[in-house]
Amino acid sequence: METTHSHHLQLHNNSKLNLLKPQVKIFTVFAIVLSIAFLSLENYSIILSQTAIVIYLLWLSKLRLSTYLKRLSVDIPFVLFALFLPFLSKGNNEVLFKIFNLNVYKTGVLEMTNILIKITLCVTLAIVLTATTSNIEIIYGLQKLKISPLLIAIFSFAIRYIDVFIDEVKRVRIAMKSRGYIEKGFKGLKPLAFASGALLIRGYERGERVYNSMISRGFNGTIELKNRSYEKSNFLYILSLLAFSNLIIDRFYL
Amino acid sequence: MKNYLQINDLNFSYPDGYEALKNINLEINKGDTLGVLGPNGAGKTTFILHLNGILGNLDDSIYINNLSINEDNLKKIREKVGIVFQDPDDQLFMPTVLEDVMFGPKNFGYTNEEAESKAIEALEKVKMKEFLNKPPHHLSFGQKRKVAIASVIAINPELIVLDEPSSNLDPASRRELIEILKNLDVTIILVTHDLPMALEICDESIILNNGEIKTRDKTYSILTNEETMKENRLELPFGFALHHLED
Repeated sequence: METTHSHHLQLHNNSKLNLLKPQVKIFTVFAIVLSIAFLSLENYSIILSQTAIVIYLLWLSKLRLSTYLKRLSVDIPFVLFALFLPFLSKGNNEVLFKIFNLNVYKTGVLEMTNILIKITLCVTLAIVLTATTSNIEIIYGLQKLKISPLLIAIFSFAIRYIDVFIDEVKRVRIAMKSRGYIEKGFKGLKPLAFASGALLIRGYERGERVYNSMISRGFNGTIELKNRSYEKSNFLYILSLLAFSNLIIDRFYL
Repeated sequence: MKNYLQINDLNFSYPDGYEALKNINLEINKGDTLGVLGPNGAGKTTFILHLNGILGNLDDSIYINNLSINEDNLKKIREKVGIVFQDPDDQLFMPTVLEDVMFGPKNFGYTNEEAESKAIEALEKVKMKEFLNKPPHHLSFGQKRKVAIASVIAINPELIVLDEPSSNLDPASRRELIEILKNLDVTIILVTHDLPMALEICDESIILNNGEIKTRDKTYSILTNEETMKENRLELPFGFALHHLED
């Protein structure tokens, strides 16, 4: 049976970022995320400057606004959590105002803003990275960044077998439905639980077979991807440096 | 020892006590093509996993070109014996076809350039060169099978073992596969239920049943021996006639 193609995050939109070295993209995203995570958020100019860097990268990625907003929805759980903070986080008990008899605390509002700004900027960076870098390129980038070969092997397998696993799930569901199974109600959960168990065992057995086939071809613990060619990406280093300078100015000089 | 593959009194039991292989004795010369036939659960896959030391006690009961399969020789043995597994999805795991085919040669010490040229050569042999930058999981089943074969022949093994290579293939893919195998200049052990394929590729065959070698003979002789065929739950496809084929 031919495998289906599961949805991948990378978009084929010929942006400048698509052509750059994945290792530099990963490094830049990591550096900017760190520089945002440690901001004090007390200086508006610094926040604006960091936001400008993120928006510039978003603009370079040529991502459509609708696609971006759809993907941004992954931060909804954080947003929901943050929305409760003004009512819960009392700090020094300074009340800003009241809504339906509930106190809105100043510390809570600051914490909420802090989380909302930081999470939105960081998720945006992750969206830009995944939209302009394929799964394979991310693994390649991690390899170039000298991440542990074991971790890289685990990532490669995870990515490789997502499709196979999705296909197995589809096959099991089709086989269940063709024998009259209806995915509804509490009773429907039991067969689903058995099917999940079967899939787990199948996954384990497949893992063993994959390993056998690997050692049969001399596997010795490392998986190395072949070299790929990319355009120079020095301006990403400049952006990382700029973001870190903002952090240093924020923390030590303002 | 003149035989390329020599197996002396090979026995194997799984941890639950099930005796999967009993007193296997077998010799094959270099360049031979041997079919391994037998019903489901006969121990065929268990048997081939012994041939490059994936399963087994590594107790010097198997020799490949005078080299015993033991802990010290495993790497050399795996370079000599390539196994093509039943399900290509188990075999192909790298991001692209080329990298998957390069995986073996690189493990055996070839440089990137050497591994790449070996991989391209192997892909040419199975007529899959134009797919080298594709992810293996986006190929059809027949294409995956061909890439899996390429990933083994890229290592230049002296013995290729194939586990049910024609299963799930459409007739045209099956024909292409047979032509590829016929053109390989190596010793071949072919495990299959596809008896016409065994007849086409293998001069000789063994029947493995209940973990034992029941018979060894010319493939044609086995297929024409009704009693042996019936005893071992073997049957030719409906309408397949042997009488016009020469022994």
